[in-house]
Amino acid sequence: MRRVGIDVGGTFTDVVMFDDVSANVWSAKVPTTPEDPTIGALNGLKSILEISGSDAGDVGFVGHGTTIATNMVIEGKGAKTGLVTTRGFRDVLELRRGWRHDRADLYDLFFEAPKELVPRYLRREVAERIAYDGAVEQELDVADLDARLRELKAEGVEALAICFLNSPVNEVNERQALSTIRERAKEIFVTGSVEVNPEIMEYERTCTTVVNAMLGPRCGQYAANFTSKARALGIHSDIFFMQSNGGLTPPEAISDRPVTLLASGPAGGVTAVARLCERMGVGNAIAGDMGGTSFDVSLVRGARPEMRNSTMLNTYTIRCPNIDIISIGAGGGSIAWIDEAGGMRIGPESAGADPGPACYGKGGARPTVTDCNLVLGHVDPGSFMSGDFALDVKAARRVIGEHLAGPLGVSVESAALSVRQVANALMAQAMRLVTVERGYDPRSFVYIPYGGAGPVHAVDLARELEIPTVVLPPMPGVFSAFGMLVSDVIHDFQASVVLNVEDVDPETLADRVAGLEEEGRARLRAAGVADDQVVIERRADCCYLGQGDTMQVEIGDGAIDRAAVDAIGSRFMDEHRRHWNFDVTGRPVRMMNLRIRAIGKVGRFAAGETRARNGAALQPVGVARIRVGETWVEMPRYRRDDLCAGDRLQGPLVIEESSSRIAISEKDSVEVREDSAIMIAVGSA
Amino acid sequence: MDRVNFEIIRSGLYAIAREMKVAMMRTAGSPIIHSGGDASAAIFDAKLQLVAQGNDIPTMMGSAVISTKASVEAIGVENLRPGDVIVSNDVYLGGGNHQPDVQLTRPVFFEGEIVAYTMTRGHWVDIGGTAPGSFTPVTWDIHAEGIRIPPVLLYRDDKPVEDLFRLIVQNTRDVDNRVLDINAQYAGTFVGDQRIKELAAKFGAAQMAEAMTEALDYSEQLMRAQIERIPDGVYEGSDFIEPVQATNWPTDLIPVQVKITVKGDRMIFDYTGTAKQVRGGVNCPFSVTCNSTWFTVKAITDHSIPINQGCYRPIEIICPEGTLLNCTYPASVVSGVTETSPRIIDMLLKALSVAVPDRVVAQSNDAACSGIFSGVDPDDARCRSLRRKHVQHIDPHGGGYGARPMRDGVNAIRVLVGNAGITSVEQIENLTPLTVESWRLVPDSGGAGRWRGGLTSERVYRVGFEEATLTVIAERGIVAPEGLFGGREGAKFQASVTRSGGEAELVPSKGAYVVVHAGDRVAIQPAGSGGYGDPLDREAERVAADVRDGYVSREVASDHYGVVIGEDGRSFDTAATALKRAKLAAQPARGAA
Repeated sequence: MRRVGIDVGGTFTDVVMFDDVSANVWSAKVPTTPEDPTIGALNGLKSILEISGSDAGDVGFVGHGTTIATNMVIEGKGAKTGLVTTRGFRDVLELRRGWRHDRADLYDLFFEAPKELVPRYLRREVAERIAYDGAVEQELDVADLDARLRELKAEGVEALAICFLNSPVNEVNERQALSTIRERAKEIFVTGSVEVNPEIMEYERTCTTVVNAMLGPRCGQYAANFTSKARALGIHSDIFFMQSNGGLTPPEAISDRPVTLLASGPAGGVTAVARLCERMGVGNAIAGDMGGTSFDVSLVRGARPEMRNSTMLNTYTIRCPNIDIISIGAGGGSIAWIDEAGGMRIGPESAGADPGPACYGKGGARPTVTDCNLVLGHVDPGSFMSGDFALDVKAARRVIGEHLAGPLGVSVESAALSVRQVANALMAQAMRLVTVERGYDPRSFVYIPYGGAGPVHAVDLARELEIPTVVLPPMPGVFSAFGMLVSDVIHDFQASVVLNVEDVDPETLADRVAGLEEEGRARLRAAGVADDQVVIERRADCCYLGQGDTMQVEIGDGAIDRAAVDAIGSRFMDEHRRHWNFDVTGRPVRMMNLRIRAIGKVGRFAAGETRARNGAALQPVGVARIRVGETWVEMPRYRRDDLCAGDRLQGPLVIEESSSRIAISEKDSVEVREDSAIMIAVGSA
Repeated sequence: MDRVNFEIIRSGLYAIAREMKVAMMRTAGSPIIHSGGDASAAIFDAKLQLVAQGNDIPTMMGSAVISTKASVEAIGVENLRPGDVIVSNDVYLGGGNHQPDVQLTRPVFFEGEIVAYTMTRGHWVDIGGTAPGSFTPVTWDIHAEGIRIPPVLLYRDDKPVEDLFRLIVQNTRDVDNRVLDINAQYAGTFVGDQRIKELAAKFGAAQMAEAMTEALDYSEQLMRAQIERIPDGVYEGSDFIEPVQATNWPTDLIPVQVKITVKGDRMIFDYTGTAKQVRGGVNCPFSVTCNSTWFTVKAITDHSIPINQGCYRPIEIICPEGTLLNCTYPASVVSGVTETSPRIIDMLLKALSVAVPDRVVAQSNDAACSGIFSGVDPDDARCRSLRRKHVQHIDPHGGGYGARPMRDGVNAIRVLVGNAGITSVEQIENLTPLTVESWRLVPDSGGAGRWRGGLTSERVYRVGFEEATLTVIAERGIVAPEGLFGGREGAKFQASVTRSGGEAELVPSKGAYVVVHAGDRVAIQPAGSGGYGDPLDREAERVAADVRDGYVSREVASDHYGVVIGEDGRSFDTAATALKRAKLAAQPARGAA
């Protein structure tokens, strides 16, 4: 069977194919087609079929990640969406939390009010009310709802979000509204807050629901279009989409819960890292994805990506489980500049892919991180993008000279080195954020770099954080696409609890857990996952009574009895102490949410074995000049393809493959593993 | 020093300050801190200069410049040991901004020497005093505003000094949340301590100290370059602050005044001529006036200059003692920082609008506009679950933020030096016997203008307490927020209690607490904000869109903007609009609006 992974990014669509039998791997990169991204995705599919000499019928699995949902939110190009709320509360979406932490620098008098996701005239109210304890204070006024629905239909809304106050405690009114609207407005995409995020705090829930609604029509259409085009091409296999939680889901599920697509692309890379860890028997890894505009860092612990329950996109809060990724504006295309006091700064402005860095020769007129890496020898001008186009070193030197070296009165090399060092510092800071600041010691992790520019900074970053090992994964340039074909099918479910642990009745809890589990199993069955491939994970969000933030702890696999419930409380207290260095004695632990994750174990790490060396000696293909401090160091160049399992090399040297080069100093050594990864032992500074 | 090391240390310190705030929010017990974020963190160098702060509450951090120094000097630097944490709140004994904001200050020791200090400040929902919530302005003196905590050691060797801890906690009206919140503030100082030590271990204490010094100089240099660009001259301003409104209290508005001199790369703010300090909690201690001034300069220059104490070096402040803006013992101060301070900033911005018309904002709601409920929860099941009977809830509100050149104001938000968030409706209903009946934007509350002022919001509560106190503290109930350059004024603050019998009582912006009962309805609405530029210059399309969205009524569209809206409530009549605008433009009195 041949598996295909597709990652539709902002600029390029990456495609990877793997053959289960021969263990051969192929990859392709085609331009993304923003007006209709299915075209680019299909081009990628055709291209990989051609490169690999496959028939469409050979394809047994397609995993697909895409940035379309993210772009729709950022560019405000979702469906025309209406919102129906409890009477008195249509402005919740716009009022937010009334502070500026989420939108502005404190001293910026000119900050923009974020664009409302639903303009006020499309936000309507209906008579209904649930009390905080679930009592029905006022039943839904169906006639009122009908009238609002008629108005919104007349406005031509394509999607509708429903969010009633206190609905997570008692769904009855919101469910009734949902079924009424679905019956009377079949042409409109309708989504209810209890379906997407049944959890208290109305602004966050409303915002999440609205985002789901505005993405609904287009994402559903995208999934359907892509699927039918793939079918037309002759691909009859399962087609899955990557969700923000690092799990795959069938196209039908995307149509209901498109909000889970928001971090689809990045989730693929982190999932691939987790799978690589699993295969290598490594528990802890820091995943670093450096592309054109950003550096994304996340953590893998116990071979699982670290998750969070909420994220913020373009100031909008979105509460659904997603891989915890920290993103900073330090990518290859980030622009370096000098401020008024002579300080070296990088970003947030980026040259992106168009015009791109000056060395692309497409009109980029300001120095970027990639330009500096090129001048320093960390990027090979000849082999960039598999040699598709040669990089212009002169142009890079010119803009560095003009904008950095000149004003600072230093050499071009020294300016470029400063940029690289500042970029390293920013990236190291982000890596500290996900480790040290969360109570983890980076020295007990390996670092796994990927993305076009990831390997280029990897060894420096590891040294900076005293991380002893860098693992260079196979195909780092298209690793996110690779993630699409190694992931499992995952569905997350949640339910609101809001009780002190001591007041939680084990039987009731067990029933609710069982109900959610059954829902998960049913969904997986519907996605074609065999029962024996299903794994259920059970967790609870807890806090000390009174706290506003929760920590997630395991419920455990056994029967849910008194002891099991109490154990949840003590697990929380351990976790709290580990994180914050104090206990709150005598304060009850409160359980806020249940979280059930249903996993269909369909994915496996499918990358070829590295060839064994059959007598042929390893030869460098030339010499690279790399700037180290004040001098140029000549290092032998090796092609990654020439390296064989068991090879051990001592630096200095460089390893090259499509789009990336990694320089290894004399303090470091390299070991090529059988499983296609390369281990770099990083010496201390 | 090495530019790269400098950049790493400098940006590292800001990241540490942000992490300190996160630690506080994630572990605190009061919604005002964990959901409202009414807390701040900052880092000081060994010479007690503020070198880094989070993206928190400007008013807490500016005044910390003074309070941190006061805290350490009161104990004596020679008496500090590793694991010590100083607590303080008092404006006169510890340089605080007002009594409910309590500061913890911790020396960071590395290799036996103090290399830095970390400070966290949090708004305590109650600190004792005459009124529950410790936020009434109707007080004779500072003692009526709650417990006065001079700088004293609350932790030694990283363990609470139990007797003192109990004494402080028992002088507040919500003991359990106090314990959590103090722990949270401690966690913030502790996390900062750990991170700074790691930085020192990596770069050495000497290099870190050098980077701190350089960071201050660096920001100072950038600020001076910016001030240089402001036209030299003397700019004067004056305004009136609202007095406390209580039976038989003085009713006169309180005059404030400033003379701003811009000379090269320096600015001098002289507040001479401002009224003497007054009875009631509207006075500002000097730390607050410094912060009002510093904030304004930072905001009209370049907000992206890395914020630290170096930014303030080019600024000189003259303010006679015993006045509203530099009050002395025993003047009470609770609302000085939340209401008087933004009013002062509005005065400064208006005075500076002559010099930098494109960098200022029309006037805003200028209040935390807090409603504070305190009483016994009649819901026994909830009392058992939440382990408390007394409820102490503070609810800040979002008002209008003024219009700017090229940009409308912002609706319903905390403005200028304030930045505490609003509590979620569902959270309020879960934690208190209050039902929120509506929470909405108020049409026409943003002043008309070429750029429209931001709207305010109104929250209506139904009281479920058998009886409770309600303290409301706000601003601009008497003096409306003005527009700039022809922009109109915004709506004033208003609040009311409608008794279950139907009779309504107005609640003043700075009055005594009122007692509310089950079934009463409380409505609170901060002020709106002013417009910028002539409303007749606003594109009719924008006005029509505002009418469609209910931000502006048809009447105001016609009367203030001269835009005649069609029957559909969203289109405009081009001919009728031209006519109406010509007629309005011809009215002689318009300019004075």
